[in-house]
Amino acid sequence: VSEELVANKNGVNALLIGSYAALYGMQGNNQSLGGGEAWQGSPSNWVFGSIAGGDASKGSAGSDQPAIDPIANFYSDANNAYYNGKWKALYEGVSRTNNVLKFLAKATDITPEEGKVIAGQARFLRAHFYFEIRKLWNKAPWIDETITDFNQPVSADLWAKITEDFKFSYENLPGTQGEIGRVNKWAAGAYLAKSYLYQRKYAEAKAIFDIVIASGVTSSGKKYDLNPSFEDNFMPSKENNPEEVFTIQMAANADPSGPTSGNNGDMLNFPYGGSPFGCCGFFQPSIDLVNRFRTNETTGLPYLTSYNDYAVKNDMGIGGGAEFTPDQGTLDPRIDWTAGRRGVPYLDWGNYPGAAWIRDQSYGGPYGPKKNIYWQKTAATDADKTTWAPGSAINYLVIRFADVLLLAAECEAQAGSLTVAQQYVNRVRARAANKEGWVYKYKDDSKPMEGFSDVPAANYKISEYPAGDFAGKGQAYALSAIYYERKIELAMEGHRFFDLVRWGIAEKELNAYFDYQGKLTSDVRRGRFTAGRNEYYPIPQRQIDLSIKGNTKVLTQNPGYN
Amino acid sequence: KNVKGQEILNKEISININQGQIKQILAEIQQLTSVNFVYSSTVIKAQRKVSVNAVNKRLGQILDETLNPLNIYYKVEDNQILLYEKENTGLLSANQNLITVKGKVSSDKGESLPGVSVNIKGTKIGTTTDSNGSYAITAPGPDVTLVFSYIGFTAKEIPLNGRTVLNVQLIEELTSLGEVVVVGYGTQRKKDLTSAVAVVNVGEMIKQPTSSVNNLLQGQASGVTVLGSGQPGEEPQVRIRGVNTFGNNNPLYVVDGVPTQSIADLNPNDIETMQVLKDAGSASIYGSRAANGVIVITTKKGKGKVTVTYDAYYGTQRPKGGNVWNVLTPQEMADLKHMAMTNSGATDFADSLYGSGPTYVLPDYILPAGAKEGDPRTNPSLYKLKPFYTSDNEYHSFYRISRANKQGTDWYHEIFRPASITSQNVAITGGSDQGNYLFSANYFNQQGTLINTYLKRYTIRSNSQYNISKRIRVGENLAYSITNNPKIAGLSGDNAIGHAFREQPIVPVRDIMGNYAGSYGGNLGDAYNPVAMQERTRDNKSQQNRLFGNIFAEADLTDFLTLRSQFGGENYSGATRAFVYPTYENAENSTLNSYTESALDGYNYSWTNTLSFNKTIDKHRIKAVVGTEFFKDYTHVSTGTNQGYFSFDPNYTNLSTGSGPMKTTSARTSNTLFSLIGRVDYSYNDKYLLGVTIRRDGSSKFLEHVYGWFPAVSAGWRVSQESFLKDVKWITDLKIRGGYGIMGNQLNVSGGNSFTTFGSAVGTSYYAIGGGNNIVSGFYQNQTGNPGAKWEKNINSNFGFDATLFGGHIDISADYYRKNIRDLLYNPEMIGTAGAAKVPFVNIAQMKNNGFDISVSGNTQISSTVKLNATATITTYHNEIQKISGGSDYYDVDSRRFDGSNIIRNAVGHPISQFFGYKVDGFWNSQQEVDAANQKAQAATGNPGDVYQTDIGVGRFKYADTNGDGRITADDRTFLGNANPNYSYGLNLGVTYKNWDFSAFFYGVQGNSIWNQVKWWTDFNPSFGGAKSKTALYDSWTPQNHNAKAPIQETANSFGTNAVPNSYFVENGSYLRLKNAQIGYSFNSVKLQKIGINKLRVYLSGANLFTITKYSGVDPEIGTSSETGQQTAYGVDDGSYPSQRTFLLGLNLSF
Repeated sequence: VSEELVANKNGVNALLIGSYAALYGMQGNNQSLGGGEAWQGSPSNWVFGSIAGGDASKGSAGSDQPAIDPIANFYSDANNAYYNGKWKALYEGVSRTNNVLKFLAKATDITPEEGKVIAGQARFLRAHFYFEIRKLWNKAPWIDETITDFNQPVSADLWAKITEDFKFSYENLPGTQGEIGRVNKWAAGAYLAKSYLYQRKYAEAKAIFDIVIASGVTSSGKKYDLNPSFEDNFMPSKENNPEEVFTIQMAANADPSGPTSGNNGDMLNFPYGGSPFGCCGFFQPSIDLVNRFRTNETTGLPYLTSYNDYAVKNDMGIGGGAEFTPDQGTLDPRIDWTAGRRGVPYLDWGNYPGAAWIRDQSYGGPYGPKKNIYWQKTAATDADKTTWAPGSAINYLVIRFADVLLLAAECEAQAGSLTVAQQYVNRVRARAANKEGWVYKYKDDSKPMEGFSDVPAANYKISEYPAGDFAGKGQAYALSAIYYERKIELAMEGHRFFDLVRWGIAEKELNAYFDYQGKLTSDVRRGRFTAGRNEYYPIPQRQIDLSIKGNTKVLTQNPGYN
Repeated sequence: KNVKGQEILNKEISININQGQIKQILAEIQQLTSVNFVYSSTVIKAQRKVSVNAVNKRLGQILDETLNPLNIYYKVEDNQILLYEKENTGLLSANQNLITVKGKVSSDKGESLPGVSVNIKGTKIGTTTDSNGSYAITAPGPDVTLVFSYIGFTAKEIPLNGRTVLNVQLIEELTSLGEVVVVGYGTQRKKDLTSAVAVVNVGEMIKQPTSSVNNLLQGQASGVTVLGSGQPGEEPQVRIRGVNTFGNNNPLYVVDGVPTQSIADLNPNDIETMQVLKDAGSASIYGSRAANGVIVITTKKGKGKVTVTYDAYYGTQRPKGGNVWNVLTPQEMADLKHMAMTNSGATDFADSLYGSGPTYVLPDYILPAGAKEGDPRTNPSLYKLKPFYTSDNEYHSFYRISRANKQGTDWYHEIFRPASITSQNVAITGGSDQGNYLFSANYFNQQGTLINTYLKRYTIRSNSQYNISKRIRVGENLAYSITNNPKIAGLSGDNAIGHAFREQPIVPVRDIMGNYAGSYGGNLGDAYNPVAMQERTRDNKSQQNRLFGNIFAEADLTDFLTLRSQFGGENYSGATRAFVYPTYENAENSTLNSYTESALDGYNYSWTNTLSFNKTIDKHRIKAVVGTEFFKDYTHVSTGTNQGYFSFDPNYTNLSTGSGPMKTTSARTSNTLFSLIGRVDYSYNDKYLLGVTIRRDGSSKFLEHVYGWFPAVSAGWRVSQESFLKDVKWITDLKIRGGYGIMGNQLNVSGGNSFTTFGSAVGTSYYAIGGGNNIVSGFYQNQTGNPGAKWEKNINSNFGFDATLFGGHIDISADYYRKNIRDLLYNPEMIGTAGAAKVPFVNIAQMKNNGFDISVSGNTQISSTVKLNATATITTYHNEIQKISGGSDYYDVDSRRFDGSNIIRNAVGHPISQFFGYKVDGFWNSQQEVDAANQKAQAATGNPGDVYQTDIGVGRFKYADTNGDGRITADDRTFLGNANPNYSYGLNLGVTYKNWDFSAFFYGVQGNSIWNQVKWWTDFNPSFGGAKSKTALYDSWTPQNHNAKAPIQETANSFGTNAVPNSYFVENGSYLRLKNAQIGYSFNSVKLQKIGINKLRVYLSGANLFTITKYSGVDPEIGTSSETGQQTAYGVDDGSYPSQRTFLLGLNLSF
């Protein structure tokens, strides 16, 4: 199809769908957009956000995807293929949205009203790609639909451009859309507020969060709310629910060349060995993460700083034949929707067997990932087995309402309204406390598909923060409780590293993580976060090399990577 | 004078030669009339000079006028004119003893020779042999000497010594100067060549047992480099004078005047001549397709009486024996694991297979892991497995039991087996002045030594020509082939060969119930069972059909003008189907089943019209050709894939019986070329030669620069014709020549290159906008256009000489060339901010090549029964990249398992395909050494936290600090080796002794490096936990063994061992190989002729009998890998399909 044929309503709409498709970050045949391996461009940020944030070990074995090790341990250089793969996938997304805007301007059969809705979506998506770029690299070139020379220097002020785009979308998009995959006004509002929060513009952020929380609806018109059960967020059968603010709509079995539209970038992240998934044992929740789900047996609250003193019992070094009884202490019920633990039901796949499903326990630890795992009973529609490792139809929630509440809680705490902040946090904890949403033991361990008993799978205990707790203990305490809640609510969802950086506590938190986890698993023994350098990733060396103009390189490297 | 003779004599010709030698005049007439003169030079004194000047005169009249004054007379016999000097019978006195001598003259091949001049030395008595080669002559006495002479044969003088019967064998003349060579759009006498043309000795070439003409070419023509493999039907990499472009470097083939990109299905037995056009002087008449060199092939024509020839061989191919990959036994594997854990500081040695004792003990079972005999878990009644399972639920319910193979499975010999090879060829030929014909049929069947790889090919050919009148000829050359050729993707660690050196030896081929065993269960690495991989391809089919050839009409407008119109090309189609079975035996299994079917078809045709001019005026010989050519190429391919089959019965599986998702794709491309052609060859007095060619091509692939001009000029000087060399006896012929011209290339661009386009593709631009599992189509920019692209220019100069020495005992041809490649098309990677659309090719890069091509051949007759001949060719090329793009002076390819770091760097100032990485400079032998190096690094950088080298550690590699900055960084990577040889050479040796013939062909390359990636898998314990080598266990660094080959064995990858490309993997790739040796016996033809057999020869032949090399891999012949598919990346051995030793028994029969 040539240029003339897309400069009309149908063409522009098709380009817009193509822009949404860039959210997957994939181009088929297990490749990222732009040609890197699929896992480099994963939109879930399991490497850059979760592993680098200490949520998870790389997992699998040392020799597999060794390029993740330097990222997890913060010693990688700019040649690491993951950076280039991610960079190219995101800028292709930018490029696609720019094409929408370029041809929208040329099309003559689109009304101004239609044009606003199209531009609103395109600019939302562009802002999303730049938000990612900004989180990862801080400074990067700004390319919009007017730019024809793509070799641009890095822009120090991406935030202004990003907020401008989100603002446009917020002001021009309708509240509901005909298709649930399309973004609406409220998604734009939430993302705009999140952008302000990243800029520490708490007041601006709070103003919009207030409206979004009060009035926001999903694209299909459902008022924003938390799902009754925590795990509903990770079940395709429950998609299009009130908690979805901005979602990447995953689809299984759509492309026979691989799960391109079904979490292709996360296909390595299934239990290994004798597991029913086939491959590859990556993305194992860290021991440090799992320990954070310990709750005080009397208060039902977490140990905000000393959680590792109450470590959750695990099966490190205990062979498959040996007996193992899981931890008997009090735990936050979200633990068993977040990590596969030995002896605990792993969805409807049977009790997690421990070492038998782990490639190298001494390297990646004893746990398996869970939020990204599909259920056996719905595998026919939810699993994508088109290639050597599975994909799934589980949507990736870029922003879910629990996330909005916790972000809003930060704004409130920063503004000093600690009581409101605590209300938001408690709303999230109350949902976790809903017994309907806990994990229960199987009726029959040997027939996991036959359902669950009414005996909880572990000793769950979780409570809301008692009235006046935040206000009484002050802002610092409130923030640490909010941060902690965010960690466990959104664990393994790709946010942690970026949160640590924007909070300014990455060095302290991550080095503490390396000190603790490094003694237990060999994968992060070399970990060391250097402040002033590791907050952002290096701009891919390949891109710097390609930016040569005359004799100078237009792109400049982030500090500490030269 | 018979009627036919009269016809010849009535032919009207024009000829104008002033003071020419009779020989020259006769040759000219021969050329104009295709009549053969037969004469004895002693009698005719062919060097005598006369003048002849005739316009449209009868041949008979010309001969009368020219020869009679010299007392030379002629008579016509068949299509030959015999010349003789009139006998002066008066010299014979009555008292002389008149004796009648009779006999038969035959060739050294046993064919009877008609028309041979038989003369009595010192007299004017002479006669010629009749059509059976018999003669009778009256000699003046018993002591005279008879002289036998015949064109193309060495004259023989034999003293009669009283005999009355004298049978004579004449030996074919040694010099090939008169040989006619097929060049672009015409022919040339070999002695008139002014450009670099390698003429292949087809007879020698086809002695090797392969179906591929390209494989046969290896070492047979100077200037040509061929890299192949042992896989049946895998076309080798053919490079003429090195690498000429970043993309497709394959030469153009011209078969019977029809240009094509593939001769994979050409039956070697059909080849009559093969010429390699190497320089601009010879090739640039093919214009935009000439830059990679041109290989011109003609196929056989019939002649003479009906002859049937049958050529056949049958043989066996034997894979290499022994422990080919030097793999450890299962116990040694366990010991290595223990050692690596110790080296890595493990304190807990508990292992699911080997227990936890102080030394590891092999289990009786690998599944259940580590079980011993009698373990209740190994009760066969527990076993549950359905190999053809169709659902995940079935898969989850499996219970596998598999014994440990304590002796160790020899995976190499589980997948490589002895295999048969046969070729059966029948040809029927014949011809007369009304036309000629050849019909041939060939059946070729080479089973691969790797299971389920083979090439089965059926070829038929019909070449005929009909002489409608004296001046008009029409005909056709057509071949049809059917090819079945399942192959594996070569040189990849992920094919069955790769998995065979990765799969641990403790794994048996099959489990206790005969289903496949594998690495399932953990602790056995992640390799696949290679036997299962290959056996599961059993029902996969592929078939290619191809019709290739031409039809032509030719008319002689006048004696010197010929008009030819030829329509030629090919029409092909092919289909493949393949089923992917679910697996259950491996550590990583795919539970998916899928089926793929694809079909391709296409055609291309060339319509060529030429007008040739051929005239000799006095000492000026002019040959010229002008013409037009139209070329069109069209291809179409479609592919469908479906999944979720409930039955795997090959009769059931087709695209519609799966349960989805189904994917279908199709693509069509076409492009056209229109060309004007011109060539002039001029020679003055056979001494000064000049050739000029020009071609203008117009291509549909370009938008703004549609047309390109490709001129060339070449000149030669036959120094030996100069008076100062005339008397130098040992120089029979010597010619110096040189040429300059421009060749073009357009292979690397597609028709879409000029345009920015948008497209839609599942997996790239579809999105589930409505939620659920339904995805909706969207657009994305899939190509950025470059309307300004134009032709690659290959500016070539060539200097050389051809020498024939000692009367033809030695021939030498040598060339030096330079090629400057400008406007080289390259698709430089675009900066990421431009998006991911396909980058167009732009004319940005530059490259140069130079080198020598030399061929020397010699022959000698040691005695009347022993003859020797030898031909050697030497090829060198030196390639240098001069520019890649505005932004980058290198591009890297082939990362293998190094995760982003590439093995090959193509960089400005270096040749294509150089290995790049860290240079190993020994080991870190002690912690003190490490500490000292770190301190130095810290001093150099001023940072107390710095280390000399990432992952520095005792026993690991110490890398060279090539830039001297005190520590190892990415800047210390350097060029580690060159995949291009300094030179390659071929040597053909031949001996005949009576009825025996013996020949041998050696081929070698010298000075290249090979990247032995197999060592990455086998010499480093942590490389994916697969099988390891003896080197890893016995010759790796330990505190006791500092003088080791491999570094310390550990459990994790590290920068200091296997995580980055380094010089450990680079080896000397030079080798010398006896490619072929043959011994044959020809049965006495006289006896056979009585039963109607002209020729019967049987032979024994052996291929790849030995190889001398320092290379440690299986086969040092390493071409382009399927893993990159890039023609600028080769020489990386990731498990080759080796050439195998082959023994043949063959037969040549004609009647």
